[in-house]
Amino acid sequence: MTLSRRAFLKVCAIASGTPLVTVGPRGMPVALAQAPAPRPSADTPKKGGTLRVGFYIEAATMDPHLSGSKIDRQIYHNIYEPLVTLDTKLGVKPGLAESWQQPDAKTLIFKLHRGVKFHDGTDFNAEAAKFNFNRMKTEPKSVRKGEVASIDTVDVVDPYTIKINLKRPDAALLATLTDRAGMMVSPKVIQERGSELERNAKGAGTGPFEFVEWVKDDHIVIKRNDNYWNKQGGPYLDRVRYRPIPDDVVKLQSLQAGEIDAMDYVQPRDVAAVKADKNVVVVDVPSLAAFSYQLNHTRPPFNVKALRQAVAYSLDLDQIVKGVWLNVGVPANGPVPPTSWAYDKTIPPIKRDLAKVKAKLAEGGQGNGFTFTMTTPNLPINGQEAEVIQAQLREAGITMKIKLVDAATQLSDGNNKNFDMISYQWSGRPDPDGNSYQFFKTTPGISLNWSGISNPTIDALLDKTREVSNQAERKKLFSELTKILQDELPMVYIIHPIEPKAFSPRVRGYEAIPDGMMRFKDVWLK
Amino acid sequence: MGRLVLRRLGATIPVLLLVTAGVFALLHLTPGDPIDAMMAESVDATAKEHIRRELGLDRPIPVQYVAWMGKLLRGDLGRSIRNGEPVIENVSRRIRPSLQLALFAMTISLLVAFPVGIVSAVRHNTSVDRLGTTFALFGICMPNFLLALLLIFLFGVTLRWLPISGYTDPLDELVDGVRSLALPAVTLGLALAAVITRTLRSSLLETLTEDYVRTARAKGLSEWRVIRGHVLKNALIPVVTVLGLQLGTLIGGAVITEYVFALPGVGRLVVDAVFARDYPLVQGVVLLIAIAFILSNLLVDILYGWIDPRIRSR
Repeated sequence: MTLSRRAFLKVCAIASGTPLVTVGPRGMPVALAQAPAPRPSADTPKKGGTLRVGFYIEAATMDPHLSGSKIDRQIYHNIYEPLVTLDTKLGVKPGLAESWQQPDAKTLIFKLHRGVKFHDGTDFNAEAAKFNFNRMKTEPKSVRKGEVASIDTVDVVDPYTIKINLKRPDAALLATLTDRAGMMVSPKVIQERGSELERNAKGAGTGPFEFVEWVKDDHIVIKRNDNYWNKQGGPYLDRVRYRPIPDDVVKLQSLQAGEIDAMDYVQPRDVAAVKADKNVVVVDVPSLAAFSYQLNHTRPPFNVKALRQAVAYSLDLDQIVKGVWLNVGVPANGPVPPTSWAYDKTIPPIKRDLAKVKAKLAEGGQGNGFTFTMTTPNLPINGQEAEVIQAQLREAGITMKIKLVDAATQLSDGNNKNFDMISYQWSGRPDPDGNSYQFFKTTPGISLNWSGISNPTIDALLDKTREVSNQAERKKLFSELTKILQDELPMVYIIHPIEPKAFSPRVRGYEAIPDGMMRFKDVWLK
Repeated sequence: MGRLVLRRLGATIPVLLLVTAGVFALLHLTPGDPIDAMMAESVDATAKEHIRRELGLDRPIPVQYVAWMGKLLRGDLGRSIRNGEPVIENVSRRIRPSLQLALFAMTISLLVAFPVGIVSAVRHNTSVDRLGTTFALFGICMPNFLLALLLIFLFGVTLRWLPISGYTDPLDELVDGVRSLALPAVTLGLALAAVITRTLRSSLLETLTEDYVRTARAKGLSEWRVIRGHVLKNALIPVVTVLGLQLGTLIGGAVITEYVFALPGVGRLVVDAVFARDYPLVQGVVLLIAIAFILSNLLVDILYGWIDPRIRSR
């Protein structure tokens, strides 16, 4: 596949345009109105069938409040529902809440849909929502605590209205509630079954599909919720069956041979071949992700700003994106991806400039170059990227050693600041806050700020992005932040990847939302 | 024989102690933390501390080892850190596909290796022998994952005769189960067949030059009866040794094959557990693999006695 930066942005534009993008034969994006509109009978959604989905790894838990794994979310978005959800443009639209208002910066009021029932038959209402927020805040094993930290209390105004009182303004909270932090679990299931929910989510959600079974190491099955409250569109599928297939090649072959109907991710190296296969439909889903390297500010050599800049000016991002990622993504100018409303296309990614490198090396007191180590996951594409970067740096007179590690070692090295330069591949969050705040805010103790940057200007700017609720103003603040980051360089950004997903041509109605989650409500099988 | 078994079982205790202590120490010396690995995206230090305390991971390593040993003596292998499930349940679920795969692969390898090995030895230095040795060399040189992918491409994608990945228990559904295990079993079986063929061939060649073989031939016995009655049994000792070692490896170490074919076996479990730094799970699986090795070696010792009565009497 050859996809230029311009073409990629076009794809983003298509995916985020008003008409929803859905899969047509041979991967052609087909515009389709959300409400059932008259169209040829062959393209009329029909009920029935089992969709078989291949994932790279098994789910970890069925409890959204305790989940720290990306793969879990893929399943949750079909059995649970958040208060608000995302449209293809990353705008926030109603979910379990039919509307919301923000009377002041520290108050958020949600009007909930009436007539929504959990799969166990109990009502979803304001009390249930309050129960869920309290659980996320107080359950000792809750992984959501950080996400709902700005919430002080939740009041039940009437049976279908809740008022969220914030400790401090948090403009990013609404977008955070589109994922696990906004997902509502049946209080009855939590009270009666407790920790069993981790393995068995029967009755727990309100979503278009109900949990059926999880045979460990083999499959998870969910079935259509025939009593689903939202009568527009699907669910159409009888069942969805998820299977872990760890090997990428085998997963792809399973799709080509018709053993599965959908897979979560196609490796860049396979994209071109798969696009040529008429038995497979590829959907390029522009992601929220930002892949980068953190530079350790707390020890030499990268406690010297000029040396961080020397590294950044040595890199040719176009070459990396083209040669390593085979153009399945675009060079990154900072933490905000092109899918976001906050992306500023007027800020170019840092350009390679060997003359500047020379000047910066001299400024940093290392006129003859210096040596450092890069820590990166021991995966093929990471290894390749490391080698290309190593070669580019060598041309600039900088020597880089490569240390390949497994994920657990990478996390440990990062948290303990035991690195010079370390890979960080962040899956991204719908609000730009999720791609920036926790990486650059001065935070004592554990945080994603592995670089150890502590900069009052950046801190103030980050706080301001949370206080201001006007989107245009926030966009300006994120642009300003991006420019400062390009100078301070706590992280060297490489690519905003595309996350291609592949389907059998039988699969129709898939809507590509840049958070990469596969929501099957309106999907049907031809 | 009873004494041999008892003596062998007695010798396993120090082995198991050494293995578990060694693995425990190595795991904890490896950088990485199970709670960080589990909650990668969470920056909430208090939640992590809470879980660490609850699981006893905040205690000194020797204390943790003694606690683990104490539980083990009461028959409790602990719980997986990652999914909270008892280790014994995790392992017992995974051991079944691994055992079935090992037996299936072993059967295939014996069915291939014995005829090829015998014919190669008897028709020594002929084109049949050269074909046999070429097959053996090919099987040994061919990496598992490559053979697996080639088999998948041929039988799964192109011909569509067999499923590409996944596992069905043959005890639940015989035909589907055998089909799901066919490609992985052939992958493992062919490599094993190659090793056995070579061992059997050279062992047979050596035995064929023995005096008693010449005597048997001189007595006028048919070549087949000479082979069956005098040569084969005497040539089996090295083959049984190889088989015993391979059985242990097959049960715990078919990692790549299990990974490629998405089989939920023990090999994949231990690798995933190491990546997640799921200490109790790794300990449990390693213990199991060690026991599998010990048992298969014990089986080999017993077989030695059956094949060669002189060993029994020693």
